[in-house]
Amino acid sequence: MTISKKIVLLGHFGVGKTSLVRRFVENTFSDNYKVTIGVHILKKEMDLPENQVNLIIWDIEGNEDITATRSSYLMGSHGFIYVFDTTRKSTFENLKRDLDHLKNNYNNVPIIVVGNKNDLITSAYLKENSSLFEQVDYFTSARTGKNVELIFEDLTKKMIS
Amino acid sequence: MNENDKLNILKDILLTDDREYAETIANRLKALERTLHTRSELEERIDPIIKTKLEEFTSEIPRTLGPTITETLKIEIKKSKEQVVEALYPIMGRMIKKYVLQEIELLSERVSNQLENSFSAKAWKRKLKALFTGVREEDLILSEIGNTSVEQVFVIEKNSGILLGNYAKTETIDKEMFSGMLTAIKSFVEDAFRGKGQNLELIEYELYHIHIQSFVSYYVAVVVSGQYNTPIKNKLQDIIFSFSQNFLSLMIYNPDIDKKDIVNELNYYFKNDNI
Repeated sequence: MTISKKIVLLGHFGVGKTSLVRRFVENTFSDNYKVTIGVHILKKEMDLPENQVNLIIWDIEGNEDITATRSSYLMGSHGFIYVFDTTRKSTFENLKRDLDHLKNNYNNVPIIVVGNKNDLITSAYLKENSSLFEQVDYFTSARTGKNVELIFEDLTKKMIS
Repeated sequence: MNENDKLNILKDILLTDDREYAETIANRLKALERTLHTRSELEERIDPIIKTKLEEFTSEIPRTLGPTITETLKIEIKKSKEQVVEALYPIMGRMIKKYVLQEIELLSERVSNQLENSFSAKAWKRKLKALFTGVREEDLILSEIGNTSVEQVFVIEKNSGILLGNYAKTETIDKEMFSGMLTAIKSFVEDAFRGKGQNLELIEYELYHIHIQSFVSYYVAVVVSGQYNTPIKNKLQDIIFSFSQNFLSLMIYNPDIDKKDIVNELNYYFKNDNI
């Protein structure tokens, strides 16, 4: 049986949302940064043992204030991927507040928290900031592809369970 | 016999072969000279060689000079875009004019046919319809001859933009991505004008119109080609309302409604493409 699920990627500008989606859907990466305006929608089919899932991925423009994100883009979502840049503190210092906002307004929608650009940090840096990274589910690198498939797989399983 | 005579006899004996050889060479040189100086003979010898070389050159041109010529042409066209447009403009203009004239002729023929039948039962029915519905009789005539055709129909979940089912005369696009993008555009427009309860109802692009009809949890988008006016809009609305009524009762009595069921329903309501 084929089912369709809507996933929205959230986070500040330039954290690598589009790069993660590109790596997942097209298996490509580019250093050229082009800001997303509005929304970009891509599709990827994922085969799970029981179902085939059509993931409709909404890569929306970055926003420093999650409450200002256009709610019409978030409504009807089956899953969120919250992305931040591990090298820029400003992108994760309000992580708890942002996650609370999502949980309060979109109850029961699974969220995966992702620290991207993992290839640019050291394990010492990770240790130093471990308290800030408590809520992180995965550290990814769109450049190397590390954990990219995994976050989408994990979220898909959570969405259909 | 003196010494000189003896020497000559010896020379004759020893050099006879060389003399004959020298004579042959001299004859050949004479023949060559004749060939070189006589045009007809020279042509006979050289023409086949030139012909072969020319053939080789002609067949090699696309490979060797082709890219350079193409590149040069591209640069020249880029440099003189305006001149190119100017040169093409009259040709394109004539083609468009011819097409428009042909279409006007066709339309005129159809209108004449309609007018010729102006006292028929159909015409009286139209007049009555115009009187009761308030739609102008000219619009009704145009809608009858406009050949409006349903190209695609999408039933889309309102918030998520997930495609619930679709009907397509011709498969052209990724329907799921189209549903998502259409929902995003619709949401954006509705948000931008902050008109609560207001819905985006129509998108036009060249020869096509996307008629959008919103319900509580889903909306229906119909891509139509050809005439799109008030009578057509009314007719489309009626069909969508009928479909929706049936679709809702299907949803109520069968919550596990399958995409196939929706597609079957759509086929039933829209299989007659002409509206």
